[in-house]
Amino acid sequence: LKGSFRRKAAPYVFLLPFGLSFIVFTAYPVVRSLVLAFSITYGPRAQVFVGFDNFAFMFSDPDFYRAVENTVYFTLGSVFLQLPASLGLALLLNQTFLKFRNLFRFAFFSPYLLGPVFSAVLFSIVFAPQYGLFNRALDWLMPGALQAATGITLETSWLDRAPLVMPALILTALWMYAGFNMVYFLAALQSVDKELYEAAEVDGANAWNRFLQVTIPGIKPVLVFVVVLSVIGSFQVFELPWFILRTPPGPEQAGLTIVMYLYQRGFVRGDLGYASAVGWVLALGVLALSVAQLRLAGPDRVRTSPAKRTDVKVAVLPVR
Amino acid sequence: LASIARADTAGTAREIQRRKRFHRELTPHLIKGGGHGLRRELRLSLRSLCPTRVGPMPELMPRPIVSSLLSKFRFGTAPLVVALVTLLAGGWVLAHPVHADTATVRLWTYTPEHIKQYEAAAAVYERAHPGVHIAIQQFEYRAMGTRLRSAFWADLDVPELVEINATVGAGFFAGPVDEVGFLDLRPLLESSGLMDRIVKSRLAQFTNRGHIFGLPHDVHPVLIAYRKDIFDAEGIDVSTIETWDDFVRVGRKLRRLPGEHPDGARYILQLPRAEGWGVEIMMIQNGGGYFDAEGHLIMDSEEAVEAIEKYVPMIAGPDRVAGDLGNWAQPMVKAMEDGRTLGFLAPDWRARGFENDMPLLKGKMALMPLPAFRRGGRRTSTWGGSMLGLTKRSKDPELVWDIARFLYTSPESCETEWVGAGILPPVRDAWKLPAFQQHSAYWSNQVPAQEYAKVADDVPAHYMNPLMELAEGKLGEVAAAAVRYYEEQGSTGFDAFVRQHLHDTADVVRRQMRRNPF
Repeated sequence: LKGSFRRKAAPYVFLLPFGLSFIVFTAYPVVRSLVLAFSITYGPRAQVFVGFDNFAFMFSDPDFYRAVENTVYFTLGSVFLQLPASLGLALLLNQTFLKFRNLFRFAFFSPYLLGPVFSAVLFSIVFAPQYGLFNRALDWLMPGALQAATGITLETSWLDRAPLVMPALILTALWMYAGFNMVYFLAALQSVDKELYEAAEVDGANAWNRFLQVTIPGIKPVLVFVVVLSVIGSFQVFELPWFILRTPPGPEQAGLTIVMYLYQRGFVRGDLGYASAVGWVLALGVLALSVAQLRLAGPDRVRTSPAKRTDVKVAVLPVR
Repeated sequence: LASIARADTAGTAREIQRRKRFHRELTPHLIKGGGHGLRRELRLSLRSLCPTRVGPMPELMPRPIVSSLLSKFRFGTAPLVVALVTLLAGGWVLAHPVHADTATVRLWTYTPEHIKQYEAAAAVYERAHPGVHIAIQQFEYRAMGTRLRSAFWADLDVPELVEINATVGAGFFAGPVDEVGFLDLRPLLESSGLMDRIVKSRLAQFTNRGHIFGLPHDVHPVLIAYRKDIFDAEGIDVSTIETWDDFVRVGRKLRRLPGEHPDGARYILQLPRAEGWGVEIMMIQNGGGYFDAEGHLIMDSEEAVEAIEKYVPMIAGPDRVAGDLGNWAQPMVKAMEDGRTLGFLAPDWRARGFENDMPLLKGKMALMPLPAFRRGGRRTSTWGGSMLGLTKRSKDPELVWDIARFLYTSPESCETEWVGAGILPPVRDAWKLPAFQQHSAYWSNQVPAQEYAKVADDVPAHYMNPLMELAEGKLGEVAAAAVRYYEEQGSTGFDAFVRQHLHDTADVVRRQMRRNPF
């Protein structure tokens, strides 16, 4: 009986450290933040219950909408610019004819290792007026007419002009995360069945068709995963604008994101109740978006019936 | 079974097959009977009988302690390793206890420039007061606010003294008065006579609901630091500049717009296009501010409107005389050294920063008063400020107050702080000390301390509120929007735009203020 009890108890004993830390650091804060979301607080001791007032105030606060607008802008930039760039890099660095592939892979991945704080400090100098690398490069590349048309000159301070703040942040994020997402795509590309390419090739499919009909379906589960992860990560962006802008949230609040809005209310002004309410709205929003994306993406697995594959081979063999 | 498992024979295919069969057949029985050790030995013996390897079985060798221990631990290898690592780490922590903090008073500051002076002053104080040990810790500007807030909320690791930026500090005056982590210094300031010795307007920043929560560190009058060599070469006499209109007239002579000269653009003054501090300086100079003495929001007052309308045409549009080539760090240094930025709004702390950051400009720089809005008007403003707060955590408030007074108001500390960090102290009698009479080769032989002291009593009060950070951000928002509007639309409808935008923005702050239930 003693041995049997020990054997039954053993898994629970090993789960206990995780269980305890989960209760203390995850479950309790989640429940507590839900309770706090209905109060105005100053620190943990001063607390006044206000019902749904925090939510009502949030949905009538122009700053909140500005934060949502900026965050969505950043997310769209991340998904539609960063992911194609990552996929392009992965496709390029998956080619066997390319020399020093591993070196390039590491080079593109390495910005991710620096972290957002260092990257932000670096790019605050890159985007500086007059002497910044970015303006110098643009000045060298763009003729005078184009400069006049775009209004971007050597004097342009990207981080001090409201309409340019988000593009600057998106470009910085592109530099940081393109290589990181590339690694996911590389792994996915290497798992796509080579026979499918051969079959498509002998069937007369050109490179673009092979990409659309073989590569994309082949990496679809990873693609969906990366999109969902990028959207979640983009909605949580904080350190990058916080450190790249000297006085966050930047000109005309152009760099204000939802998490920065939360941080300002909770940790600069001390209203943890309001910050909790913002946190819940953000969490539910991200959850809804993720579910919607997964639904839109359809089933995870690509179904390639053996019969179809055989058909293709049979059909093309006489031609060869 | 044991004899088969431990057989000292050479590995043959037949033997391997025999042992495999035994292993397969006997394993269920061994598990049922609890024969884990034997099963393990069977497995080991099988593994050792590789066809290419002939020799004595490893089991016949003396068994290492670790493998013996592993075989006895019933829950497997991984849990055992985790347990061992935990025990080792725990043991190491127990064997290396953190030494008790011997400091009697801890001071937190966010300014690297102050550290050296405070360490020197603390050493002097410790020598005069045996048994007292002052520990000074420096934090990054923004990190300090977060760390201090966490310390107050958790009531853990709260230092006795905190030197904090005025805007960040104002955020700590929120909530019920009892919950404010700083002591009210009003009684101490009055009983010590300091109240009459310091520039009173400096207390405004740290006063909330009648309580004074901080000892002012500075006066921070604002002057203009300018490239005297270039002004002289262009025949400009700064004594003829009395108002902002005069300044703009001179600026038009000196400026070079992009493309006008092979050396690039040149401006008389560096001003931010997208941040609020430039407008803030002019708004305060003009008698405005964010809040009044009673805590009401006044950031959309006539003074603020006038300041914005004076500021924006200086930095935006075709007639601009000011540029934004870099407010800080490398871009600022390069623009100043290249003679593309000719002037800076310079409170005392920035002037010393220039000396450190741009040593090449030694003898080429000078200080001039701020141009006034109207003739005979105020020739200075203020920018920034810090306070020293005594936390309620202090076990010996008298000692802590004594140290605070020594660090901020003693003649030796004031002199050290001026020499080391260029800070004009708020204690008026310190301005007569020898260190404050020194001529400076950097500032074209001017006496910079006296240049600042001349206007120090005219520095306006700058009232703050826990929502100061929000109000500052909102003013910056209006300034940036006004600059953009002026560039796109010019002066048409500019006044109406500024008033409306300022009013709407101020309403956001007022709405937030109305939510305060404490």
